[in-house]
Amino acid sequence: MSVNKALLLLIEDDPQFQMLLSTTLENQGYQIVTATTGKEGLIVVRNQQPNLIVLDLGLPDIDGQEVIRSLRKWSEIPIIVLSARHQENEITQALDNGADDYLTKPFSTAVLISRIKALLRRVTKIPGGSQEYFQVGEIKIELTKRLVLVGEREVSLTPIEFKLLSILIRHAGFVVTHRQLLEQVWGASYIEHSHYLRIYMGHLRHKLEADPARPKYLLTEAGVGYRLQDGG
Amino acid sequence: MKNPYFSKDTAEPLQAYLLWGIFITLALTSISWLLRQVLTPSNILLLYMLGVFFVALRFGFWPSIFATLTIIPAFAYFFAPPIFSLAIDDQENLIGLLLLLSVAGVTSNLAKKIRHQAYMAEQREWRASVLYSLSKELAEASKEKEIIEIGVRYIYAEFGGQNTFIFPDEKGQLTYPIEAALDISLKGVNLGVATWVFDHGEIAGNSAESFPNEPALYVPVNGVKGTIGVIALGLESIKIKDFLSEQKQLLDTYVYQIVHTLERAQSAEVAKDAILKMQSETLRNSLLSSISHDLRTPLATIVGAASTLETDGAFLDEHSKRKLVTVISEEAQRMSDLTIKILEMARLEGGEVVLNRQWYAPEEIVGSALQRLDKKLKNRPITIHMPDNLALIQIDAVLLQQVMVNLLDNADKYSPVGLPIDISVVTMPLGLFITIADRGPGIPEQFHQKIFDKFFRVNDECAQSGVGLGLSICKAIIEAHGEEIRVSNRNGGGALFQVYLPLLELPPVINEEVSEFIV
Repeated sequence: MSVNKALLLLIEDDPQFQMLLSTTLENQGYQIVTATTGKEGLIVVRNQQPNLIVLDLGLPDIDGQEVIRSLRKWSEIPIIVLSARHQENEITQALDNGADDYLTKPFSTAVLISRIKALLRRVTKIPGGSQEYFQVGEIKIELTKRLVLVGEREVSLTPIEFKLLSILIRHAGFVVTHRQLLEQVWGASYIEHSHYLRIYMGHLRHKLEADPARPKYLLTEAGVGYRLQDGG
Repeated sequence: MKNPYFSKDTAEPLQAYLLWGIFITLALTSISWLLRQVLTPSNILLLYMLGVFFVALRFGFWPSIFATLTIIPAFAYFFAPPIFSLAIDDQENLIGLLLLLSVAGVTSNLAKKIRHQAYMAEQREWRASVLYSLSKELAEASKEKEIIEIGVRYIYAEFGGQNTFIFPDEKGQLTYPIEAALDISLKGVNLGVATWVFDHGEIAGNSAESFPNEPALYVPVNGVKGTIGVIALGLESIKIKDFLSEQKQLLDTYVYQIVHTLERAQSAEVAKDAILKMQSETLRNSLLSSISHDLRTPLATIVGAASTLETDGAFLDEHSKRKLVTVISEEAQRMSDLTIKILEMARLEGGEVVLNRQWYAPEEIVGSALQRLDKKLKNRPITIHMPDNLALIQIDAVLLQQVMVNLLDNADKYSPVGLPIDISVVTMPLGLFITIADRGPGIPEQFHQKIFDKFFRVNDECAQSGVGLGLSICKAIIEAHGEEIRVSNRNGGGALFQVYLPLLELPPVINEEVSEFIV
């Protein structure tokens, strides 16, 4: 499957905005199929099996969250959700339900395109398999050897710090919610204990970032989660 | 505080007092008998008169009359010759006894009046002090619930009956009180009688003319604009028809005071609503004017540029097209920023915002704000002073990030290119200060309060000015957190904004990881 021939499904009820997105994305060489309601979107997914979905959370018929939930029952298709600002709860919920990334309106189409590219690349790059090596800026990590280098300097991480970092690496370039991180690193009973995450994130920043108060790699998405800058 | 004088006149133990009259006579007779060698009969009569005075003052009219009546035979038998006979030979003694009788009558009467006046004075003093404390408590109360609770308490103390206030609902129907009842609230109110009282504005129940068989007393609560409710007063031992006039008056005064306070509280509420309405009206007006100015200008540019591209696109060279597109994009961005700010302010003002407090690291608050302004601050030197290992703090990260973004954005907007922005975090025993300082022109002292007002701009004409909402948003967010924001000018020029975040509770401890490091 060539990336540029990927089929994208836009589920968006506003006709103008849909027109803008499809024009822009068609120009990028993608094939576009559109739906204006959640139910229609679900049917399109079954019939045409697109490679990626761009989903507006505010739909006229069923809740966008519902669309994500029913899709995730049987499909791993990448989903980018679009939402209004100040809906961190909505966004977090969508991500926890299984959406892969989000954008808040208004956004620039360039950002959308780069997110779509990144998601499609992730799907083609690692078909379920694990990654051995990750690099962003001066940080190099060899996952199998558990080796972490900042420039030439080797950094020692505790098991939890390493686990946290490896989850972020697995989702590099994408936001991972607080809940997902807490659950995967500490276990389901720690979901309410967000301070663990803050403290260990602080540790990681102090070990990996040149200026922990101005992180270049371990980015905070306020109210949603964390994003590790993608090495590209 | 229960009225000690409640129904006093009817409760005096008269018989015991009559015995006191006999006792005084007996005592004085014995004393006089022992001193009969020294005292003349007229002296003894004076002594008896003293006794009558005492009884009259201490025990009242009837005991003193009773004492006098017992004195007559005692004097005649023991002291007036012939002794041991009820006959009185001496004319002087007879006249003395008659005089004693009349003086006793007069003094008893006088004493009765004095006693009554004293009782009235005490009663009045009691009432005055009760009314004083009632009005004091009422003056301090501002909520309807508090006022009614005070009323129920005072009426209970004065009349000894459980009682409750009944008010109409929105439809004008009397309903049972919604609030949890006090111990002294009357339960089992007859709403039918209450409604009759409410409609007629007359007292009913408990031996009153209307509904005399209803055990509780129903008193209309008469306000300025007619009856606004009903008090139901459970009177078990006494009847309204036995009420003294002062008690009726007192009940009236209580009701008046309570109604007055209730109406005052209601009108204060109305006034507050009116002010709020006025403020939102003002906000809407400023909103309209700012929308018309700040949004219309970029909109005009966008529409103009877009229509040029639409109609003359074919004739424009690549460079002009680019320029027009850039203009559209920039102006749209500006409009978007403004809209977001206006919506944000409306959201904060509307009271929709519920704080989502979570433990956050201070460096993350600063870091995420800087990250959001990454592009804007690309060429701006920024220094950050912050101790390592700062304790976590409980805040709404999204909102506080907004505060930091607005402050940093202002610092960037109002200070010349190339001059640094300094950020520092200082811990205090009970919280921490986050300071953002620039090297711009600073803010004139007289505007240090005003800059946080909505739509206020230090320099209205300045092209860089936004809509004048950034700092009001900051203030609203900070105040929602119960925190503080203030501005001052720096030594050497520039504005300095300081946000104080109090430490509400100690940060949670985490189970330290077994220190097994990966090599």
